[in-house]
Amino acid sequence: MSETTELKHATLVTEGIVTGYEDGSRPRLVGGYCPDCARWYFPCPSYCRSCLEPVQAADLGGEGKLHAFTVIRMRPPLGLPQPYAVGYVDLKESGLRVFCLLDPSAIDRYRLDMPLRLTVSVLGHDGSGQPCLRPYFSPGDHHEDAEKETDTGGGEVRDE
Amino acid sequence: MSEVVILGVGMIPFGRHPQKLLVEMAAEAARAALKDAAVEPGEVGAGFFSNGLAARLFSDHTIGQNVYWEVGINRIPIYNIENACTSASTAFCLACGQVAAGQVEVAMVVGAEKMYVPELGLIHSGQSELDTQLGLVAPAGFALRAKRHMAEFGTTEAQLAAVAVKNRRHAALNPNAQFRDPITPEDVLSAPMVVDPLTRLQCCPNADGAAAVVLASADFARWRRGASRGKVRPVDVRAAVYCTGSYANPQDLTHWETDERGCRLAYEAAGVGPEDLNVVECHDAFTISEILHYEALGLCPAGEGGRLAEAGETALGGRIPVNPSGGLLSRGHPPGATGAAQLCEIVAQLRGEAGPRQVPGARVGLAHCMGGDKAADSKSCTVVVLSV
Ligand SMILES: [Zn+2]
Repeated sequence: MSETTELKHATLVTEGIVTGYEDGSRPRLVGGYCPDCARWYFPCPSYCRSCLEPVQAADLGGEGKLHAFTVIRMRPPLGLPQPYAVGYVDLKESGLRVFCLLDPSAIDRYRLDMPLRLTVSVLGHDGSGQPCLRPYFSPGDHHEDAEKETDTGGGEVRDE
Repeated sequence: MSEVVILGVGMIPFGRHPQKLLVEMAAEAARAALKDAAVEPGEVGAGFFSNGLAARLFSDHTIGQNVYWEVGINRIPIYNIENACTSASTAFCLACGQVAAGQVEVAMVVGAEKMYVPELGLIHSGQSELDTQLGLVAPAGFALRAKRHMAEFGTTEAQLAAVAVKNRRHAALNPNAQFRDPITPEDVLSAPMVVDPLTRLQCCPNADGAAAVVLASADFARWRRGASRGKVRPVDVRAAVYCTGSYANPQDLTHWETDERGCRLAYEAAGVGPEDLNVVECHDAFTISEILHYEALGLCPAGEGGRLAEAGETALGGRIPVNPSGGLLSRGHPPGATGAAQLCEIVAQLRGEAGPRQVPGARVGLAHCMGGDKAADSKSCTVVVLSV
């Protein structure tokens, strides 16, 4: 299956949390911003938790800095690879610290404070066995780097 | 809170109880607590039952009424409480409130959990949570804290292991603990890696278990103590604090604001400080958790938790013994029962009934519990201060 067919057939883990991945351009996280409260959110809630007014969807970008990471070696849930990596990432634009998957093919390369960029690809399943698109961060400054690499992760669960 | 006392406690050994139903385990602990308190079933004015998993595992609901009727308690209000790992301690805080408000003279908390069943699966913070869908399993949140603590403060794997070794050494002295065979630092560090840097022996084991606490007003307790000719031995509740997370973003993974806030509120309510404590039971779900809780409790300065464990200051015989029962790491962790089991241990210590694991002359003790992950924070934190 080619990458584009794969993207078409797999569903996103949770609707509305990423954008810019469908056409192969630059994937970014989608959160929320309340201009009255100057408050950022990820994921985007319908209403602001300060003023209780509707929140606007906001582009949180696809770049961040690695605040903490670990490698999960136990039997993985949701068809994720064994082992797989997760971390807290400080997003560049909003300053939010978000929990996210990390590229499982780069497990030996993670260092605190290193720059990361977002990828969206098939990683694991949706709980009922259907392939699932998940956002994850990979080492690197610029998204352009990712497009030069042939294997951006997904490991053995990748259906190619 | 000086008007509320614990009159009696009871628990069953934590471990595997394949022959016993959840209700049977709970009733056994309840009977033991009622007898310890010398309280008749008909004297209990309100009952709280705590459990975390039975709705999911057994499709059982409103179990509290079944449990209390097994020990002859009916007609009164029974409250069913689910609050993850703090289910029982949250129930205790509610029960304290009812007694303190004069709504009832005697209240009771029973917590139980049955986990050794094939249906258990993974424990996480909620299947529909985004974090869960992105692979956040319970040990990972703590492993991430451990990695930051190691990077910021130089905490070592040997210091993490020291917590597990100490709690196992304590458990060897506790017949109610699930795992009692001594372990060495090498055993801990060479056990299978679960989530870096936490090996299997650094993660609390599942357990079947039940524990119960009978509370009363100070007036009722004085009367009952007299009537029992001193056989009943009340313990004063100095503080019973329950708070929830701030979910602030970004979270500081090594200075746990919710944990620190819960501990501070309890000290303020009790009018004591960390220097007044003689014995502590804390929520050592993972080795790093205990180290973080030392710091939140003010048992050592921020960042020094690993060194405090390694120096033996929190072992029996040390400056401030923590988890003399063996803690979650060796007693086992049935979420619905853990908070009540911690209270059983502190009560035994303050009455001088803890046998070979007794902290000599203990007069002030603290039980600390946390539960549920949300937005890199904890959903709940309870801190109870007891004294004699
Ligand atoms: Zn707002």
